[in-house]
Amino acid sequence: MGTTLVGSSPLFLQSGLVPRGSRIIVFESIFEVFLLLGTLVGVVVIGYMLYNAYKYRSGATKGDEEVGDRPVLGELPTGSGGGRKLATSFFMSMIIVVSLISWTYLTLLYVEEGPSADNSLDIEAEGYQFGWRFTYPNGHTTDGVLRIPAEQPVRLQVTSADVFHNFGIPELRVKTDAIPGQETETWFVANETGTYTAQCYELCGAGHSYMSAEVIVMPPDEYEEWYESTGNGSSESVSTENQTAFVEARPA
Amino acid sequence: MSDTDPERTDGGTEVGSEVVAGGHEDDHDHGHDFPGTGSIKRWFVTTNHKDVGILYIVTSLFFLVLGGVLAWLMRIQLWAPRAPGETILAPVAYNQAVSAHGLLMVFWFLSPFAFGFANYIVPLQLGAKDLAFPRLNALSYWLYLFSGILFGVSFFQGGTFSGGWTMYAPLNVPTFTPDVGASTAVLALVLFVASVTVSSVNFLTTMHRMRAEGLTLRNMPLFSWTILLTVWMMLFAFAALLAALMVLSADRLLGTTYFAMESPAGALLWTHLFWFFGHPEVYIVFFPALGVMAEVFQTFTGRRIVGRKWFIIAMVLVAIQSFVVWMHHMFLTSINLQVKTLFMITTIGISLPFDLMVFALIYTMLKGKIRFTTPFLFVFGALLLFIIGGITGVFLGAVVLDYEFRGTYWVVAHFHYVMVGGVTALVGGLYYWFPKITGRMYDEFLGKVHFAAYFVGFNLLYFPLFVAWETPRRVFDYAPELAPWHQLATIGGFVLGLSFLIMFYNLFKSAFTGDPVSDNPWEYATTAEWAVSSPPPLENFEGTPTYRDGHLSFILDRESDVTGGATAADGSGGATAGGGVATSPHTAVTTEYEPTVEATEVEGPSHASIWPFVLSLGAFLILLGISPLQDAAFPEGMMGAAYATTAVAGFGVTLGSLIAMGLEPFHGPVFDEGEAWPFSGIDNGKVGMWIFLASDVVLFGGFLGAYIFTRFAFGWTGWQPVPDDPIPGLVNTYILLTSSFTVVLALVAAEKKHKLGLVTSLGATFVLGIGFLVNKALEWQHLFHEGLWLSTNVRTSTFFLTTGLHAAHVIAGLIIALYLTARAWRGAYLEDNRSVEYFGLYWHFVDIVWLFLFPLFYIL
Ligand code: HEM
Ligand SMILES: [Cu+2]
Ligand SMILES: [Cu+2]
Repeated sequence: MGTTLVGSSPLFLQSGLVPRGSRIIVFESIFEVFLLLGTLVGVVVIGYMLYNAYKYRSGATKGDEEVGDRPVLGELPTGSGGGRKLATSFFMSMIIVVSLISWTYLTLLYVEEGPSADNSLDIEAEGYQFGWRFTYPNGHTTDGVLRIPAEQPVRLQVTSADVFHNFGIPELRVKTDAIPGQETETWFVANETGTYTAQCYELCGAGHSYMSAEVIVMPPDEYEEWYESTGNGSSESVSTENQTAFVEARPA
Repeated sequence: MSDTDPERTDGGTEVGSEVVAGGHEDDHDHGHDFPGTGSIKRWFVTTNHKDVGILYIVTSLFFLVLGGVLAWLMRIQLWAPRAPGETILAPVAYNQAVSAHGLLMVFWFLSPFAFGFANYIVPLQLGAKDLAFPRLNALSYWLYLFSGILFGVSFFQGGTFSGGWTMYAPLNVPTFTPDVGASTAVLALVLFVASVTVSSVNFLTTMHRMRAEGLTLRNMPLFSWTILLTVWMMLFAFAALLAALMVLSADRLLGTTYFAMESPAGALLWTHLFWFFGHPEVYIVFFPALGVMAEVFQTFTGRRIVGRKWFIIAMVLVAIQSFVVWMHHMFLTSINLQVKTLFMITTIGISLPFDLMVFALIYTMLKGKIRFTTPFLFVFGALLLFIIGGITGVFLGAVVLDYEFRGTYWVVAHFHYVMVGGVTALVGGLYYWFPKITGRMYDEFLGKVHFAAYFVGFNLLYFPLFVAWETPRRVFDYAPELAPWHQLATIGGFVLGLSFLIMFYNLFKSAFTGDPVSDNPWEYATTAEWAVSSPPPLENFEGTPTYRDGHLSFILDRESDVTGGATAADGSGGATAGGGVATSPHTAVTTEYEPTVEATEVEGPSHASIWPFVLSLGAFLILLGISPLQDAAFPEGMMGAAYATTAVAGFGVTLGSLIAMGLEPFHGPVFDEGEAWPFSGIDNGKVGMWIFLASDVVLFGGFLGAYIFTRFAFGWTGWQPVPDDPIPGLVNTYILLTSSFTVVLALVAAEKKHKLGLVTSLGATFVLGIGFLVNKALEWQHLFHEGLWLSTNVRTSTFFLTTGLHAAHVIAGLIIALYLTARAWRGAYLEDNRSVEYFGLYWHFVDIVWLFLFPLFYIL
């Protein structure tokens, strides 16, 4: 899995603490930790809140014995003591948050570095209302379908022909903005062959809900065969079912 | 600029005015011209902060219903994934619903709802009789209402805006969203921002200048603290939004090309401008809710907040930092790793103070005597929701996760937990202050039922969205396996919405038939609003509130009504309503008597003016009239003529009401200066003017930022200045500098009570200003003949629009100068020259701006 990604990563990335590999692995492992810790913190904090709300409910006399001094109307506002407890919990939460985020920052460095140029496939993607066009290194263009080989990192240069879009393939955990006049870069690698869907993640007009493209991940040899058959400047176009239907359903 | 005009008269003293005195709400009709609360007229003319507060609350709830109905429509559409042709709302209609829902809820519901409380409660907490500029306060309200109506109109002009509440470029320009209604929606936002700006200036002046003796900033109640910080953020953030919206309006109506598809970096420019506003906006809508939480927690736990000082410091830090995190909304754009790192760090930095606030609230419950009344339940629930919203927000702060969450329902679920969590607290605030505002208690049982339905509905609505987070945002065709979660959400949406019916019924009925309450129905409430009658008298206090002895006391002079003072001092009355509500025996409030110092009070404050209403109507008509413009031209035919007529009529109404407002004798609240840091000894009007100019600096900053950003994207050196000849610009620089000098002369003459000198120097200023405009007109005409105009390219767009904005400032200044000259001619300003001084401040500011524009647009 993702073994093709060697690159020149700094040492700490090799340590195993920092998830690497395909973007699916990176995302899943971080998300899992966050979910786990998030749930834990949430349950503890909310549980503590509910417990104390019950414990100090009016009529449970507890409170009155300990504190005689209740706020009175017209006093100048002041605070209660308990600063040490507050400081302790604050620093604890700070440590959790800062260390979590710093940890993910290391994976951010890994993700941002991306695969090296020589073993990856460069493809340009262009969004338009309402679909995606792809251009291969040999100049071949496709519309509505992206064919890629399994196991090989793909680097995408993404832009837009009209409005702001956002290109994402949710199953492969890749996403980037498609901005007119700008080029953004991202990468991904698919380890499993099959058909995935790319979608638009930025509201771009009437067809936004249906602005998708097919992503076909082929076995490397089949891909090579297909790629050989495409010549300079040739093009093909496949619109997804929905898209065609949408364009037809649209009032002229 | 017109909003600076009335300010001067509010703060200033005019000759020959009539005394409009106020007493109790119920003894209003003793020959005064301020109608009672039962009269419809009252609500059109009132300038009283409590009336305006009620108007805000009621109006905002109306927009909640509107935004809620749109949300229901969306939730119905989302019941199942919709293939093309199977939609209930057509795709564009759905986009409009999403956009309008977001805009209505954030702008027209959430903030104004909070500001209803701010209006009502803050002056009471501060010990002020009203806001500093009561007419401006009414003006804020009417501008807000009319902006909402204008937004409503946009639905009927071919369809409202459909590009999302973030209004990303270039989808926001007519090439892609051609409906007239889309322009109207943008103009409605402009009007809304005008309302916010007027309101911010007013609140800041009031809160800094008009606190009771002993009520230093440090001693201010937490609700007032949150409002103070909110308003500071609003002042700057909304000025940035105004810049963005004005540029967008110019693109839509006049044909400038800032955001056009072809413009270099137009799309990125919008994201920067929008999010520079948008992130502070997140806290702007949340802070007041936090303030309500803090007050209600303290009251119903019977405990002072833990770590009050740190709580305040944390809020101040958040308010400042909120302006340096905006790019975390742009992690997937082309910004580089260094910038991402920086904004990731600032983002964590801003999340930490919230941890502290949450813990402070939780620890406040310890050793408490907690009463689970409706307000407490809502606020407690809000804290719980906020914790979930906060935890899920940390996920988004991790950039690698944000990459995948961006544009999905994770974001939708997260921000609803936070924002609607805030709404939850504000609903608690509504129950909390309801007895104060109406003098009657709501039905506690129905209140608890409302909470139960609300809380269940809320979580049923939004929690499943975390599970279904893979759904892309603003999309109604999603993966079929997610449908059950969306169906749960839709059911929850209906439960949540319907729960409000219980509240409306409860509050409506109780307002008329609820049990009457005493001054303070809540045991352990401490803030000053509970030390006056429910509802409070028109001018809030009998006597002068002060904290000089370390607690609230009222100083009455001998002549005053003694019984009125007594009400404030004792609180007998026994239990008044269900839910264990009892009148507090705990009070530190005392009443003292002092001999009257000034036996000759000059004039009582005024409470009524119709002009804020008329002025707002005028502004509404202007914007409605210009809404169909494209490339600065009206559409052909009858329709175009009708729109043009509307605009002209609106202009007449606006100008007329501005003049009427200037001439109307109106007196702001009289007050003895108590705590006024950092503006002690400076007149309210002057402080207001400074604050307004501060927001104007940000407005111009936005325009200049947009220019510089665009120019960098274009290539700084490849960009030639638009005017080939800098001489006219240079001449104008000299003209303006000279006019600054004549304004100084005018003030000197006024101080020396030299009428002729005053009139001549004001006149000279006016003439110089006209000279500036004529020179500019000639220059523009020349450029126009060379084929260079607003829409030619982005270079000319920036030139004409930015210098045009400056010229508009000059024109506004000249209108004021003309008005001042005319009045000076008739002998005004010799006794009281403050108006001249404030005009001078404004004029110098306009000149200084030119000193920046000239090199940037003519030389470099
Ligand atoms: C009361 C306070 C509320 C606020 C402040 C609020 C705010 C927002 C905002 C800012 C958006 C984003 C709009 C956009 O993407 O342009 C939004 C979207 C949405 N809201 Fe609300 N909302 C509120 C209540 C509700 C309620 C009660 C419901 C459901 C009954 C709801 C359902 C939705 C839905 C379905 C979307 C569309 C999400 C998407 O596709 O991106 N909202 N809301
Ligand atoms: Cu899209
Ligand atoms: Cu933000």
